[in-house]
Amino acid sequence: MKIVNCPLNGPRNISEFVWGGEVKPMPDPAKATDREWTEYLFLEENLAGDITEWWLHAPTNYWFIARRNTITDQFLETMTYDAFLARQPLASAVIPSGEAEPAAKPVTGGGDTGATSA
Amino acid sequence: MPFALLKYGLSREHPDDPHFRWKPDLKKTYDVVIIGAGGHGLAAAYHLAKDHGITNIAVLEKGWLAGGNTARNTTIVRANYLTPEGVAFYKESVELFRTLSNELDINVMYSERGHFTLAHTDAAMRTARWRAEVNKHLGVNSEVIDSAEVKRICPTMNVTDEARYPILGALYHPPGAIARHDAVAWGYAKEAMKRGVEVHTQTEVKKILIENGRAIGVETNRGIIHAGKVMQAVAGSSSHVARMAGLKLPIKTIPLQACVSEPVKPILDQIVVSGSLHVYISQSARGEMVMGGATDPYGLYSSRSTLDFKESLMGHMLELFPFMGELRILRQWAGMADMTPDFSPVMGLTPLENYYIDAGWGTWGFKATPVCGKRMAECVATGRQPDLIKPFALSRFSTFDLVGEKGAASVGH
Amino acid sequence: MSGHSNRIEKPGFGLLIDHTKPLSFTFDGKLFNGFNGDTIASALYGSQQVLLSRSFKYHRPRGALTMNGLDANTLVQVADEPNVRADLHPVAAGIAVKSINHLGSLQRDAFSVMDYFSRFLPVGFYYKTFFRPAGIWKYFERPIRIMAGLGTLDPRADHKYYDKAYLFTDVLVVGGGSAGLEAAIAAAETGAETLLIDENSQLGGSLLYGRVSDSREAADTLRTRLVAKARGLEKLTILTSTVVSGLFSDGWAAAIGGNRLYKIRARQTIVAAGSFDQPLVFRNNDRPGILFATAAQRLMRLYGVRPGNRAVIATSNTFGYEAALDLLDAGTEVAAVIDLGTTSGPTVDAVRSRGVRIVTGSTLVDAKGYLRVESVGVAAITGQGKTAAATDWITCDCVLISVGCSPALNLASHAGAKVIFDDAIQMHRAVSPPEGIALAGAAAGVWSPARVAAHAKATGSAAARLAAGEPGSEPPDADDPTAAAITHPYPIFKSGKGKEFIDFDEDLTIKDIINSVKDGYDDIQLVKRYSTAGLGPSQGRHANLNTIRIVGAVTGKPLAAIGTTTFRPPLVPEKFAHMAGRAFEPVRLTSMHHRHQELGAQFMTAGLWLRPAYYGSKDDAARTIDDEVRAVRTAAGLIDVSTLGGLDIRGPDAAAFIDRMYTWAYEKQPVGRARYTLMTDMSGVVIDDGVACRFAPNHYYVTATTSAVDQVYRAMTWSNVQWKMDVDVANVTAAYSAMNLAGPKARAIVQTLTTDIDFSKDAFPYMGVRTGTLAGIPVRVLRVGFVGEAGYEIHCPAGYGEALWDILMTAGKPHGLKPFGVEAQRILRLEKGHIIVGQDTDGLTNPIEAGMDWALAKKKPFYIGKRSIELQAAKGITRKLVGFAVTDSASPVPKDCHLIIRDGEIVGRVTSVVKSATLGKVIGLAYLPPTMTDAGQRFEIRVDGGAMVPAEVVPTPFYDPQNARQDI
Repeated sequence: MKIVNCPLNGPRNISEFVWGGEVKPMPDPAKATDREWTEYLFLEENLAGDITEWWLHAPTNYWFIARRNTITDQFLETMTYDAFLARQPLASAVIPSGEAEPAAKPVTGGGDTGATSA
Repeated sequence: MPFALLKYGLSREHPDDPHFRWKPDLKKTYDVVIIGAGGHGLAAAYHLAKDHGITNIAVLEKGWLAGGNTARNTTIVRANYLTPEGVAFYKESVELFRTLSNELDINVMYSERGHFTLAHTDAAMRTARWRAEVNKHLGVNSEVIDSAEVKRICPTMNVTDEARYPILGALYHPPGAIARHDAVAWGYAKEAMKRGVEVHTQTEVKKILIENGRAIGVETNRGIIHAGKVMQAVAGSSSHVARMAGLKLPIKTIPLQACVSEPVKPILDQIVVSGSLHVYISQSARGEMVMGGATDPYGLYSSRSTLDFKESLMGHMLELFPFMGELRILRQWAGMADMTPDFSPVMGLTPLENYYIDAGWGTWGFKATPVCGKRMAECVATGRQPDLIKPFALSRFSTFDLVGEKGAASVGH
Repeated sequence: MSGHSNRIEKPGFGLLIDHTKPLSFTFDGKLFNGFNGDTIASALYGSQQVLLSRSFKYHRPRGALTMNGLDANTLVQVADEPNVRADLHPVAAGIAVKSINHLGSLQRDAFSVMDYFSRFLPVGFYYKTFFRPAGIWKYFERPIRIMAGLGTLDPRADHKYYDKAYLFTDVLVVGGGSAGLEAAIAAAETGAETLLIDENSQLGGSLLYGRVSDSREAADTLRTRLVAKARGLEKLTILTSTVVSGLFSDGWAAAIGGNRLYKIRARQTIVAAGSFDQPLVFRNNDRPGILFATAAQRLMRLYGVRPGNRAVIATSNTFGYEAALDLLDAGTEVAAVIDLGTTSGPTVDAVRSRGVRIVTGSTLVDAKGYLRVESVGVAAITGQGKTAAATDWITCDCVLISVGCSPALNLASHAGAKVIFDDAIQMHRAVSPPEGIALAGAAAGVWSPARVAAHAKATGSAAARLAAGEPGSEPPDADDPTAAAITHPYPIFKSGKGKEFIDFDEDLTIKDIINSVKDGYDDIQLVKRYSTAGLGPSQGRHANLNTIRIVGAVTGKPLAAIGTTTFRPPLVPEKFAHMAGRAFEPVRLTSMHHRHQELGAQFMTAGLWLRPAYYGSKDDAARTIDDEVRAVRTAAGLIDVSTLGGLDIRGPDAAAFIDRMYTWAYEKQPVGRARYTLMTDMSGVVIDDGVACRFAPNHYYVTATTSAVDQVYRAMTWSNVQWKMDVDVANVTAAYSAMNLAGPKARAIVQTLTTDIDFSKDAFPYMGVRTGTLAGIPVRVLRVGFVGEAGYEIHCPAGYGEALWDILMTAGKPHGLKPFGVEAQRILRLEKGHIIVGQDTDGLTNPIEAGMDWALAKKKPFYIGKRSIELQAAKGITRKLVGFAVTDSASPVPKDCHLIIRDGEIVGRVTSVVKSATLGKVIGLAYLPPTMTDAGQRFEIRVDGGAMVPAEVVPTPFYDPQNARQDI
């Protein structure tokens, strides 16, 4: 039974968590070509090595980001989504554009990184 | 005493008739290079040699012969799929399995046991009927039976109402079988090598050589090999190898764990699967209970074992077979399941010319070994996608033509 | 009654048994005596019953080998428990023990004829035959299955009580021998909460039966001192008779003691599990009476049993000589010590000084005797695996083997340590163990007592510091020169003919391994799979090393290059029942569950929930369900819908958020109104439906289906982590009870109750939603019509559910109100043409196929699945869900999932079908090709038995097409 360090709840048994799959930026659904869209839907990096992915702490329904090594089965790091965004070179790049207000609110990043080492 | 054993009994020395004649060196060029010496790659090599006269083939394996999922699966063979595409494909596989021992001159111990897919909910009963109807339409023997009939066929199963998830009925598939998984791969390797195919183990492909948009060979830890055509059949490493060919796949690689018990005298003839309880079980010829469940809860490239798997498996196993409580688990292990979004394989042509793919075998790869080998060989030899595997082309994901197996495959055995 | 006793009546022997408590039991029906503290095997051995079992393939007689549960020779059946290790299982008064794997008696096993046919059964023989002509295997398989297998399961056996416990510790020490004790004491003294687990009933490991140097007293003194110290430490918890069977990641360990599985979380784990004895491979090395020196020492010291009257010892190390001293002390004559090398030192001198014949540079090459060894042949070693022709025969009735060990690396390997072969010590070694794992004692390759203590202490205190978060120190030096003198590099001697066993479990001989390679299976993994070496109950503990050695000798590869097969959990076989424990299965019950029981409900499972299917006897189900339907259509019915999901969505962005989650439009939805919701996933597949109730501009209450609500809730929170809309989503499913009061009398019933809600038709129209109180209970009331009658879905805090149910049932009684279950609801909704997501949709259905185009907002810039639905719409669909009716009333009634066949091809499928009493015909929903979906188009459904049932496409709703009744 592995332990996952939830940014909200601290270290808990992995049986409390649900795997959310790799973080993949959604292309703008209004602008993407059919090919870009279906690739986004169905294709996976599926890397052997360090990956960045979504995890959910099910009892609290809390989503966060984990960096994990898929060969060694080790959680390298877990962090809030905001902390993850703050690390991206272009924070807004992961938010699809062309969507209804008010979803396009600017992302606040920086201050609270919320990262916890696994 | 079977006649075939006389030569062993009557000769002083063990006959010098090895199954495998290994070649020490790699050639510079082959007509076909197959990456992965598991059951699928070896079967494809065999059929290329036998059906298409292509024998200048190298099958390259980074580990040992058939040491990946071929060595780790739980050997169930069946054709009771949900979609007409799936049923037609696996039906041919079952037909090939039936004569495989003679075809390959090795006893693959193909044993038709009868296969239950138990239904504990109305929804599962509906899916069972759906599968039975499609199966029967395509000439595959499947029936929906009620719990009393389950009990009649498999008297040791607990079909009482006291269970947390009582058995309402089952999809019963009499041709469901088990086989000796290793022997299948060894048989293909043996017969392929006999026809001139080379199998090179401890030979890892590091790069796919591409020129003018077509695959022209591979670079290995033992040097560069040129090839007219390249095929990958590397369950558990599919995304990794495909990436070398510039391809991205609809695959998540997730461990699938299994375990066996100590051997006991025969007590279970059938193969029993419960999707709701996430368990399946059969008893091998050696007397071991061979058991497994659903894939692991997250993606991983590690065959580590977990305690959680055994706890959840056995909690449910004892609901079906309460008398097995005192039986012991002898060994547990894991394989790598390449899961696709539609629970169906990816076979055939790719956007890269002269590069062929055999992937996405999730938890259902062993049972397709003969048919996949045969049809992939046809595809590689002719450069065209055979009709039987057209629905499973990689291109289906870009055209939204997914195969609808998902509904039937929560535990795909 | 068996032969005379074989017990040693001297002090210092029989540590575990209580001579004052004799007991008797049966073995194959014969009465045997033993003592409290005996194992089955020690009690039998003590009564001269050395023969315990028959072997797997050749049915050769077998006796105890390890006396530590590490071989298949001692497997017996105890009542309904198969494959019991007789050398571990405590004997108890009156138990009935049976030997296994023979035909006739254990003494005269008719299957032992297999031994003479062995030349016809070469390695992998079953691959080479039994398949011609085609289909013949099935006739061979059954007898082979019966021949194989060891114990027997009784299908009538009871399910016994097993449970689980959780333990947490700073430092876990596996193994209570000298290394484990030293490590645990050091860890506890350094301040760590420490848990020491040992498989035996007494701590001490080999100190219990072995010697320190040549002194038994020194071992006893050391053990007494260490155990006393360990027992006195407050921070040290000790579990005995418990075996750690697996180590998993993040310090998670499984241990089994009695009927309990311990699940242990340790910050640091020290594996001090000792080593496994390795056999000397020579002709007939499996005869009963031939056993490991440690097994003989265990028999003597732990159980006071003399292994025989006249012994021969074959050894290549001082341990064999130490055992000779024990035999002499126990009163057994030592005929000779056969030393494969030229061991020297004080122990050898001590043995020699007691007049024992020592033959150096020689080995055993043969054994005579059948049910028990009678003599052994000795020959000089002339090279690796080679001996001189001249054989010297020595009469004996027991043979002790000590030619080497293999460290117990299984647990470290489970946890991820890499295992390599170390030529210097001729043993495997664990290298680079993962974080949190350390080894001590023999498992670490440390053997000499002084070094074991120093190394283990350092390991224990380092683990304690690491557990406290302090930096660890350099790992203590595990280099022990004495380790090289323990394991003989090639204790394998092939005879001209006969069997020299490599693997006792699987009946594999030297020849089998050689011939595996000869057959082309030259990789160690292939050898293992082809020959089955190491696949038996002892999982290669005594077979791996010698198999590797033979493969090395045949292929000329160095052992380090051959590698080893992977260690897989569990370390020792675990009962299914240990893993299952009490097998808790959660069940969710609604607040009204007891009322349903009182009303005679038959329950069905819906996820974790139990829901009433109908109210009445199983024998009368169809009529009962029809009555329930009729009540709803003609008077009123009440159904518990508490299992429906409920999500409270609050905040300024609530409407915009719902707009993005669902396919339809919600921003302009008025307060006090409900609107249908349809959710797809990103690929446009329908995953849920329900209604969105707007109770305030900033507050929606959205329902979801029973099975999908968790998934919907997750999708919502996942989305909003990214969208960052100003909205809060709460899954309030469990907080609310809900019941649907439906039927023409529904309004009349609620209007008899005290309420602040105006239930009049105009004030509370169809699709209206209200909050207020009903009979004093706070409620949310939804005027929706899944069943197609006027009705109110009433949600209240879960604690009031039963009270409100009672109030409504009482109020409805004069109006003919009946409770109805899920079965009736299925009919009612189908008459109304409403789909059930998951029944009328499958894993690939998009809203257009499901006929839900009307619920797709065309103008919204975004909703989940929009792009995918548009893409599929542009491509064109291949099927569409339509209503149908069976046109021939005499036809059999189709079932859900019967297929629609045209010209011999499958063209569609029935998803739902019922015989509607209300409508007097069989109606349903089915997928058909888009070309066949016009009203009145005819098609055929193939039903059970192959009959074709004619049907035609009918517009939905089937019942009340004008939707007048829900608006009454």
